Amino acid sequence: MEFTILFITILFISLIQIAAPFLVKRTVVFGVAIPYEQTNHPKVKQFKRRYAISTCFIALIVLLRFFILKQGSITETKLVLSGVVLPFVLILASLSLYFYFHYKTTKVKKSQHWFEGVKQVRVADLSVRLKDEMLPSVVHFIPVILTISIVGLTIHVFDQLPNQVPTHWGPNGQPDDFTTKSWMTVLNLPIMLFVIQIMFFGINAATKNSGIKLSATNINSAKRRQLNLRKYSSWFLLVVNILMTMLFSFMQLNLLYENLVSNSMLWITPLIFFILILGGSLILAIKVGSADSDLEGKVIIEETNQIEDVDEDQNWKGGLIYFNPNDPSVFVEKRFGIGFTLNFANPRGYFIIFLPIVIILLMSFTM
Amino acid sequence: MLTVEPTSSIPIYIQLRNQVMEAIARGELSTGDTLPSVRALAADLGVNMHTVNKSYHELVSKEIIEIVPKKGAVIIANNKENISEERLESLSNELKPLVTEALVHGINEIKLHDLVSKIMKNIKEVE
Repeated sequence: MEFTILFITILFISLIQIAAPFLVKRTVVFGVAIPYEQTNHPKVKQFKRRYAISTCFIALIVLLRFFILKQGSITETKLVLSGVVLPFVLILASLSLYFYFHYKTTKVKKSQHWFEGVKQVRVADLSVRLKDEMLPSVVHFIPVILTISIVGLTIHVFDQLPNQVPTHWGPNGQPDDFTTKSWMTVLNLPIMLFVIQIMFFGINAATKNSGIKLSATNINSAKRRQLNLRKYSSWFLLVVNILMTMLFSFMQLNLLYENLVSNSMLWITPLIFFILILGGSLILAIKVGSADSDLEGKVIIEETNQIEDVDEDQNWKGGLIYFNPNDPSVFVEKRFGIGFTLNFANPRGYFIIFLPIVIILLMSFTM
Repeated sequence: MLTVEPTSSIPIYIQLRNQVMEAIARGELSTGDTLPSVRALAADLGVNMHTVNKSYHELVSKEIIEIVPKKGAVIIANNKENISEERLESLSNELKPLVTEALVHGINEIKLHDLVSKIMKNIKEVE
């Protein structure tokens, strides 16, 4: 079972890594902005192909290695450990390839004098927000009702709890670590959950306020991509919130009433969690990745455009980290991969993402 | 659709102000419509919020938009109504140096009329 889950995870990560250059916006190649009419340039196509083939090769080796490990006489713990380490090996390898082709693309861009002497513009659609289908941020408060009930329940049964409460469960769902009962240890899980729910509310709200970046050379496709990204990622966020709430609630119920939740339930919840997250990311990748990317398949106008989008390379460190103090957006679309990344020049982002993470980490260590 | 050119010698806030006015002149925006919030438009364009704020203030002082609490920037200019005396006077004050400049360069009245018609046509034609 563990093998299957880890194998599927590695396979999934491999596919996303291999497909990345073809799922991202056509006008950004390995984190480097290029003019719209150069998206079919032979060098650009060659780089993408080479990256995909190399990553595919590495992924095959990693998957094969994992499979061989399983065949050999290896303890389950060691198998799981290698299943956790191997995806990182894969990501590190594809990241190195990314940087290599990032450098190569930058060189081609310079030598071909792309963007030089072209009028560079930024565009905005005044009515685009009417078409924005992001979920309202308050939906993230619906699961909070459950958190509050769980807290209420915990307070209600606090006196009846044994003096030693379980704080850690083994892979078989049986508690293997205990702590002396106190308000802090008993309410630890619900408080953590509450912090997560507030963080999700903050992420949704900040994304709503972030810019809908359009492309002057390809307005309709860019709009579709941005609106899909916003819509589906806000749905994804809500699904993750509900799953987290379910998982934490189960764990808390298990803490309060030892035998209320059966072992099979404890084991199946993370599995559902896993399947939904994987399915959700796949839908997101397809819905977003099919617009304004190589997959869109629309023939590109051959004539030279008189205008281009502003070349924003100087705001993207290594093509991966966005740092633009002028842009009030907290989240912007990633340049390589599907999803959002932080505007590291905006302190609100640190507040929304890192503050809750620090609180959660502190809580799990002090427990 | 708004288009701004960050590297242009014309400041971005002036470009934005002009673009909004042109959108109204073309009928893309009409009386009662709301402009995006300062934060939203600045985020969409990836420009500083002060820049957008400055252009909204310009539009307020021209009596084209009004900042309504909780609603945002609402367009109040109405091209179906007659222009007020004060607006006409301030417009004529702003046009005066330009007309003078044209005269200095030897443009006669007919050519000036032609020029104005051309500009008007150009504003309406831009997609």
